[in-house]
Parts: sequence; structure tokens; C-alpha cells
Amino acid sequence: MRFGIPLEERIEPGNLGCQGCGGALSMRMVLKGLSDDTVAVIPACCWSIIDGPWPVHALQVPVFHTAFETAAIMATGIKAAKLQQGKDTTVMAWAGDGGTFDIGLQALSGAAERNEDIIYVCYDNEAYMNTGIQRSSSTPIGTWTTTTPDERPETRPKKNIMEIMAAHRIPYAATATPAYPDDLLAKVEIARDLRGTRFLHILSACPPGWKMGSGDAIAAMRAAVDSRVFPLYEVRDGLDVTITRWPEHEVDPEAYFAMQGRFRPLLDDPEELARVRRLIDRQWETLVARHREHHPEPAAG
Amino acid sequence: MGERHLLTGNHAASYGAKLSRAEVISAYPITPQTTIVELLSEMVASGELDARYITVESEHSAMAAVIGASAAGCRTYTATSGQGLALMHEMLHWAVGARTPVVLTNVTRAMAPGWSIWSEQTDFLSQRDVGWMMLFAETVQEAQDFVVWMYRVAEQVFLPGMVAMDAFILSHTSEPLIVHDQAAVDAYLPPFDPLYTLDPAEPRAYGGLVNRDHYFEIRYKAFEAMERAGRLLVEAGEEFGEALGHRYGPVDPFMMDDAEIVFVSAGAMTSNVRYAVTLLRERGIKAGLLRLVAFRPFPFEEVRRLLEGRKVAVLDRNMSSGHSGIFAEEIRSALSMGAAPTEVYGYVLGIGGRDIRVETVLDVADDLMSRDEPARTLYVGVKGLPIGPARADREIARLAPLEEVSP
Amino acid sequence: MPDLSHVDDYPEIPVSLRSSRGVLRTGDWRNMRPVLAERVSACTHECPASVPIPRYFHHLAAGRLEEAFATFTLRNPFPRITGRVCPRTCEAGCNRVDREGPVSIRDLERYLGEATAGLPHLPSAEATGSKVAVVGSGPAGLSAAYYLRRSGHEVVVFESQPEAGGMLRYGIPEYRLPSAVVDDEIARLQAMGIRFRTGVALGGDLDLGNLEDEYDAVFVATGAWLGRSMGVEGESLMESGLDFLVASHDAGVRPPGRRCAVVGGGNTALDVARTLRRLGAEATVLYRRTPDEMPAIGEEYRAAVEEGVAFEFLTLPRALRKDGADLVVTLETMRLGDPDDSGRRRPEPTGDDREARFDAVYSAIGETASLEPFPDALKGGDGWLAVGPSGETKADRVFVGGDLATGPATVVEAIAWGRRTAEAVNERIGGGYEVPDWVAEQGDGVVGPTDINPATFPDTDPHHAPHLDAAARLAAGMGEEAGTMTDAEALAEIERCYSCGYCNECGTCFVFCPDVAIRWEDGPVFDYTFCKGCDICTTECPGHVILTVKEEEVARG
Repeated sequence: MRFGIPLEERIEPGNLGCQGCGGALSMRMVLKGLSDDTVAVIPACCWSIIDGPWPVHALQVPVFHTAFETAAIMATGIKAAKLQQGKDTTVMAWAGDGGTFDIGLQALSGAAERNEDIIYVCYDNEAYMNTGIQRSSSTPIGTWTTTTPDERPETRPKKNIMEIMAAHRIPYAATATPAYPDDLLAKVEIARDLRGTRFLHILSACPPGWKMGSGDAIAAMRAAVDSRVFPLYEVRDGLDVTITRWPEHEVDPEAYFAMQGRFRPLLDDPEELARVRRLIDRQWETLVARHREHHPEPAAG
Repeated sequence: MGERHLLTGNHAASYGAKLSRAEVISAYPITPQTTIVELLSEMVASGELDARYITVESEHSAMAAVIGASAAGCRTYTATSGQGLALMHEMLHWAVGARTPVVLTNVTRAMAPGWSIWSEQTDFLSQRDVGWMMLFAETVQEAQDFVVWMYRVAEQVFLPGMVAMDAFILSHTSEPLIVHDQAAVDAYLPPFDPLYTLDPAEPRAYGGLVNRDHYFEIRYKAFEAMERAGRLLVEAGEEFGEALGHRYGPVDPFMMDDAEIVFVSAGAMTSNVRYAVTLLRERGIKAGLLRLVAFRPFPFEEVRRLLEGRKVAVLDRNMSSGHSGIFAEEIRSALSMGAAPTEVYGYVLGIGGRDIRVETVLDVADDLMSRDEPARTLYVGVKGLPIGPARADREIARLAPLEEVSP
Repeated sequence: MPDLSHVDDYPEIPVSLRSSRGVLRTGDWRNMRPVLAERVSACTHECPASVPIPRYFHHLAAGRLEEAFATFTLRNPFPRITGRVCPRTCEAGCNRVDREGPVSIRDLERYLGEATAGLPHLPSAEATGSKVAVVGSGPAGLSAAYYLRRSGHEVVVFESQPEAGGMLRYGIPEYRLPSAVVDDEIARLQAMGIRFRTGVALGGDLDLGNLEDEYDAVFVATGAWLGRSMGVEGESLMESGLDFLVASHDAGVRPPGRRCAVVGGGNTALDVARTLRRLGAEATVLYRRTPDEMPAIGEEYRAAVEEGVAFEFLTLPRALRKDGADLVVTLETMRLGDPDDSGRRRPEPTGDDREARFDAVYSAIGETASLEPFPDALKGGDGWLAVGPSGETKADRVFVGGDLATGPATVVEAIAWGRRTAEAVNERIGGGYEVPDWVAEQGDGVVGPTDINPATFPDTDPHHAPHLDAAARLAAGMGEEAGTMTDAEALAEIERCYSCGYCNECGTCFVFCPDVAIRWEDGPVFDYTFCKGCDICTTECPGHVILTVKEEEVARG
């Protein structure tokens, strides 16, 4: 085995994820990095379905399903009870981008500001996929969705949820993607062993929503990292930035966009594409500068 | 048995939660509820109450937090009011579906806009269909005791319950009460024995996807539990009397035996109604009073038995617009199933915290006695209008231009 | 599933009653499925001996030395030898060649050879009662002897020289392949029961006809030892390069003078030149074409240049004469004309002559085989031996191979020939050795650079076995110039291998399966009850070992 991935599964086969579901894979990997003493909280999102219809479910940790905007606070409440009972169970909120960037942001901000002792994972597929591909504030510029049709594609940059979370000065916030499993697992393990609010932002491909073949899901997520569209990094205490993966072979963002049908409007608009390229460059430069602040010695890579 | 204290309704509610040994409390500040959780927060901080207090960023989150904590096996408490209760609405449903016996105190408050912090029952009664047990306190003693009583029943049927009290009239009014002896309360209210605790040793999913083949049966269980709660409320109310000296029931009749006209009320206004009834009796009018204590489960039997065949004035400090006052609506429905013909007159009054004085009740009595046919909704005290139905033919006046303000 | 025919069968809350396993048969969604389909790696395909390279790497990485050795020796009995002298066509085929460079396959082969030097060869099959004579103990003869013995035959190897090893012992210089290694390998063959008779030459003490009578089969692999004639004036003044290499194995051999020239551009020429440098002489290679046309292995040429071997290209000796102690060579400058049959540009005379003075001149323009011992009945119309692809001759039980059949070639080609002939002999006289199932199960297709998915592999520069620099090589004399990788280097280098066409249990498919539909049982097991056919495993498999098959094709069989 070339990966430092535990063989142990905390999910049973048989789930209702679509073929090639990045969200299903993200869950599988994250649970590998946590302990058996874990409770998951799932608000409305694809995973409300993926876990399976009553009376069965796929996950091998308790799952408390909750309302769309309540992942962080439901986890907080459960953790409070566990602590009151003298138990140190890990409570993980597991929400999509809609439940995190949009409707759940208030409760998430509240929990983060209070530094509640929870792990909050956002598996981000960059739109409301469960309801059939509507734009969220995580949807990137130039993207087609059913509510940003070709004639009027998404015009605003993806909300930078990491900066928002870092601004709460929580102990740990990190981006990850299952395309880089060792990086993801390492971050899960760091999060597991810290206390306070820990936030993992996991880019998770959605083949139907990204308009690509399911077999390309991993390749797309990998290209997102290698094109610096979705850099892998972590932020400690809201300030100390470490880039955890320096792309070895930079992929042209256009190649990343071209893998997915949802970016067709962007690819058809050279001016918008140029703006997006500048944005990607600027964001990366900003990130690198923050990394250098924290790591005065130039890092390898 | 207990100690006599002078407390506001809000602080009494705090003591209700403390005596119940709530383990996780979460709340968001809102007038006029705030002092309930302020006191609880102090109790937790001082160690007087062994609990966790979560200072959330919204009532929606407060309700979610206590649902989560309850699901994990703790006794949980929250309090809110008006807009806060409305914001909780979605999660009120969740508490029922998750069968978490959360207890909530709601200080009734008129809904905005315009902003009003004063008493009105509409916030509370509009939660009618979420599936919670609902009690209405009249006194500071009840503001405390109903919390304990509610836990006792809620934790047997695994349904949440809310206790209402009127803004300011009760919440901020000090009255003497007995703060019960903790041991006596402990004897009455055993520790919470949850249905489930989100135990990782049993990795189950709670509240996931349920298809049409199964949803009804599972919800039906909650409906059945509410039916059972009606009986348990009566039993637990009687036992409360035996154990703690105050006997409670779903209704509170006053001078009903030979009453020809009967007022139906709930909450703090009942004290004035009760006094008005005694005045009417002095005038030789056979008046009576039926105070509704339980709104859900609704005391159908008691209402039918006590009201059938009489002339009933329901005093609603609330309105289900386009229909009636909500209590009137409910009373009529209770009397529609096999009761002798009963005249029910719906009076809507005290909206937005306007005082309901003894005189107001006497005016209603006069109006009632002057009428021969039941009226759906009669508004009391609208400036310039006699007691009567709303006008269906009024033209809506446009805004006049803003007047220049002279320097 | 629980019976849910009555409301009382239901729980109070919508809490799950069991796991999804066995209930949600998501395999029903699938219209295509992944299957493991091992095929031939590009390196194996380029290896003359078809060594299953990724497969033995995998055993080696897992610390399974015996399995690694057994896997290797299925195709080549001598990793210690080819691990030193192989021209590495495998590395040219490596699918990593255009990234940071190929996997250092030969260095790993040497590592395997050294790590398993103490292991005995695999036990032979049950005795067949047949006897096979092998004439010639170079790489072809030894390889054939090995596979024949492994097949259960009694094997006798005849060698004209005093010691067995042929070209391995006498032709390849000591600094590339120490005699001690050859000794060890012959000892290991003897331990299998192979008998060696040295000092007996075909056409001398041995007669092919007698051998045919005494043995059930005869394999002749006597090599190509005859120097070619240049046909120039004073040619007798030149020495044989090959003879010099043979002699160089004896301690104390010295070149006749300081200024030496070597005529030729093949491996023998460079071996002679490099040996001369080690023995303290100056060496000038005279070659009639340019470096691009040299038949010698590129790395040999580069090493020779580093070691100070001088090259005079487009230079052809026309005549030699003695002038006192000096040898005066007339050299004509050549130019390149049109390509010849070999595809290389033909050298053409320019008429420009010059003279050079040397103490000795060695001829190394190629060797050929002597056909003297062979009856005309074995020869074809061209007067050369008529040879089938596995060494078959016109005589039923006589086989030939190695350089005798091919002309001068590489050690690994000779080893491959030896195995092919052993199998042909088995077909003729019965017998054989156990071959693992994978050989039959493996598909024919070769995994090329467009099939693989190297995305999960980090950039890693190759690790190499230690190799002395030029000065140290010269200082070491005939001492061995290369060493063996450390364990850590070997493991790190094996990690660079994409394992094309072979499942080395890298885990990529398992790791990336979103549906827990790949069970890990020391390798992937597809759980078709749940596999949704998303194609991720097929796409991500680095070595293209997983293929996607349409369900309708599966149904059709």
C-alpha cells in the first residue's frame, strides 16, 4: 500500500451516493482518521441521502440528522451533553457547502467564535447538488448551474470560507481533498488530537454537478489543487498559515476548467477567464506571502 | 416543604429549571425572557447548578443545542419569547421528530412589526401544530412548578413541552412562592432515562431519510404519545399536589357548578377575570370561569363536560386572523363532537399588551349578556369602535404625503 | 430486514435498525465493472529475457526475497550477472523515462542478485531420466543447462577452456564482471546437479555425432570467438582484442607498450581500450564512422571518454609496418555516405592518409563463430547453420544458440536463447518445470505510456547503485567499478516503479473507492454487490492493471 491510509472502515458498503461521489469518499477517509468514539451530525445535504433510507444506514458511527442550518450548533449541543456526562466523544459536524457557506454560516460562526469543542467538516461540491445543482456562495465564477444558466453564469468569486473561519482565530482550519489522501488524513489526525473548533474544508467532486465522467472525479480534484484553484493549506490559531502541498507540476487552470462541463460559460468568455486567472494568481500569492510570514525560511517546493 | 420566596415569574422559571436539575441549558437573550437565563447562567457559573450553559447566537441555535444535548441523554432547558419562539419554529418540529423531551419557557410577546415587547399569546399559540405539549402558567408559583411538572410528563412520553407566561404581567412581577425542597422534587422527578444517547457503541442513524412506506407509522407513534400525555398530565398534576403541595390539572374551573355564563381564559389575565366573576356573582349573575392550563394535549373531555349547554365567552389575547381567537376556535371544536348545544362567543382583547382590566371583563359580560347569537370574533377595546366584529367593507386608506416639519 | 407489517414493529423514533450492508445492493446500478487484468509491462516487453520486473520488485519491496528470486529466475537464472552487464533495454522502455528518468532496473537487479546470492536455486522437477549435453558454458549454455536441469533432466556441460563461464569469464573484463561472481554462479549450478567437463572442445575431444548418440539432446552454444580479418597490409602485426581481454583476467598482465590503439567501435573495442587504461596504457580507439554509428553501448562509450580513452573517428587503418620498436599505422580519413543495410551511414574513403605511431594495435572489429565442428548436414544454403527460433537445427536432437547462432550479442540475449532452447528441448523429449499461474493468466497487451496514470506518484529522482568516478576507476585497476544499492535505496527506487500491468497492491484503487466496494485482502477484491461502476479505480490505477468491462460483455461471458 503506497498510502498511509488505515484499512479500517467506519462505513459499510451500500450507500446512496452517485457514482464517483467525492462527498462519499471524503466521509470514508475522514472517518478513517477519527476514532470509534465519534458521533456525526449531518444537516440537510447530499449525505442526508447517501447514508441510506430508514431502516438502514451506511456509517458505523452514530449519525444525528439535523436541520440545514444547525450542523455546528447541533454538534455543540451533543458535545455539551457528552462532556456533562464525563465523556470525551469526538463530535463531528458534516455539512455541504450550502450548509456551511450559506444557511449554516451563522451557527458555524457562533460555534467557532465560542471555540466549541467540535470538528466541523465542510465537504464542498460547490453548489446545491442534492436539490439538483443550484448555485451557492461556494460556486466559482463562470460556472453553470440550474440557477446560473449559460446566459447568466455565476458572476462572483467563490466565498473564501477559510478566511472567514481563520478570522475566528480557531485552533485549526485546513483545506483538503480526497485526491491527496495522505494530506487529508494527516489533517484529520491533527484535528482529532486538538481541542476547540477545528474546521476542515474538503473539496469533493460531484460528477453529475460538475458535468464530467465519474471516473474523472479524483483527477478533477487533483487538478484543482495542482492548478492552485484550490490550494492545500492549514491555518493554526487563525494566523499561522502553512501551505501543505506545493504543486509539483503546475496545471493550467484552464485545463482544470476544461475537465468539467460546468465551466463551459467561463471557457467561452476569454475576458472572464483572464480575470479568473488573475484572481487565482493573486489568491495564491497572498497565501504564499502568509505562509512565508509564518515560515521565514523558504520552504521546499 | 420548601421555602417561601418573593420572585418574579422569570426567576421562578429559573428555579423550575434548577429544581429539575437541567443539565444543559442554551438560550439567546430576548426581552422579556432574558432574566430567566441570566439567573440560570449565574447558577451554573457559581456551581449552584451542575449544568452546561451554551451562549448561542440565536434562538434557532438555542433550540438546536438543547435538542442535540437531549438526544445525547441530558435533561435540557431553554427559554425564549415572541420572535425568538418564531425563529425556533423549525427546530420545534425537530425536537418532536427526534423525540427529545426538551422543556422551554416562553414569555409571550407580541410579534413585530411594529416592535412590541408586551404580552400577547399569538407567538405561543401559533406553535400549536408542532407537536409539543403546551401549558400556560397564571402565577409565579406555576411559572416554577410547571417546568417540573412538564419534565415529569415529557420524559415519560419523549415529547418536548413548553410553558408560557405573560410578558411583564407575570414575567417581571414579583409574587410570593414556595421554592420546593430539592429532595422532594428529586423524589417527584426521577433522573432522565433517555430512549437513546448517541452511543458510539451502537452506531445508529437518528432521523435520517424515511420513505413513504414508513414515515406515517413513525409519526403515528408520536401522535399516540401525545394522547398518552393527556392522561399522564392529569396523573402527574395530582401527584405534584401530593408530593409538593400544589395540585395541577389541565383545566382550572372557578365557580362553574351553576354558572350560566362562563369565561374561558388562560394565563395571567385570569386573575382579573376571576375577580370579575366574583363581582358578577355579587350582582346575582351566575358567572363562572374555566382557565385553560393545558393547550396541548387539549383537554377535550374537561372542556366539553364543563362548558356544554352554557353561554361561553372565550377571552383571546391572540388572533388567528381570518378565523377567530385561537382559544375560541379550539373550544368550538371541542364542543362540536357530541356536546349539547353551546353558545361560544369569541372575544379578542389585550392585543399587544393592552391591559385587560376587571372593567374590561365586565364590559365583555355586558356585551355577552346582550347577545342572542354566538359571534365568531368580537374585538374589545379598539379605539372608536364598540365591541363587535371586524368591518369587512372598509376601504384601505393610502398614506397621506409626509407633512413638512416646520423649523 | 425487520418485519414491518404492523405499526408496533416500528421503533419510537426514526432510528436505523441495521447497516446498509447487504440491503442497499448498489451493484445493481452498474452497467460496467472493473476487473483486474494483468498484462506485460513495457520494461518486461523490452527485456530480451522477458523478466517480470514489476512482479519481482513487488516481492523485493515486501521483503519476500525467495519469491523475488523465484520470480526472476523464471526467466533469467543470473541476476548477479545481468545486474552488472545488462545493456538495460528495459530502462529505455520504462514508462517513467520521460519524467525524471527510468527506474534503475539494472541496479535493482543487481541488488536482487546480491541479496539472494546465498539462496540455492529452486529445486528441480522430478527426474525425467533424459540426459542433455550442453556444449559451451557461456551465458546461453549456462542458461539452457539451468532450465534443463530444473526440468528434471540430467545435464552435462562441456567447456573447451580450463574453467567454465565462456564469455562471462573470459570476454567481459574483470572490472565489469568479477570472475568470483561467475565462480559462485557455476557453483550454484553444480549444486543443482549440473555436471561440468572442462578442457574438452567440440571438434577436438568431443564429436557431435557421439554426443547425439549418448544424449537425448545436445545444445551447442560455443559462442563467436574468431576475430575477423581486416585484410590490410601488415595485419599480422595487430593483436587480437579478444585474446587480450581473455589474458587480462590473469593478474600481472601488462600491455606491450604505452601507446596502444584499438581498431573498432563495438563493445569489445571499448572493453579493450578501457582495460588498457586500467593497466596503465594510453588507448586510442580508431573507428571508421562517428560516435552515432558506434555499436557499443552508449554508457560504455561515455565511460571510456571519462577514463581518457582517445577516439579518432572517421579513421580507417590501411596498413601497418614496423619501424624499430614502433608500429606505424597508415590511417585514411573517411567520410559518411549513404546508409548501408544496417541503417547506419556507410564510411567512404577520402584518399587523405596520415601516419601514426603506436606500441601495439588491437583488432576488435567483431567476432564470428567457427563452423568447423559442424557437419554440412546442419548447414543451410548460405553455408551457415540453419537455425530455428529456439535453436532447432536440421538434426532432431541438436540445438544451437547464443552468439553461435546470432553472432556477437548481449549476455541477456544469450540467456534468453538458452531458456527458449531448454523449452524447445522439453517439447522434443518431454519434461518441464513448474510455471506459476500468472504466466498463463497474464494478457498479451503491453502497458504503454498512454495507459498509465502516474498522477499519484511524486517527482522523485532515480536512485543509483554506487559507481566509482573515472579517476577512482583507473586507480582501482581491474577492481569492480560499480557497487550495490543499499536496502533503503533499493526500496526507494522500487517505490518509483508504476508497476505497469501488474498489481503490486499499491492500494490506489482501494483508497479512492467512494463506495467501500473494494475489499483489501492483501490486494483488491472487487465487491460487485456494491460496486457502482464509477470507473475511478480503472482511471486511477497507476499501472493500468484494472480494466473496465461492460456488464453485457460479462453476461455474454
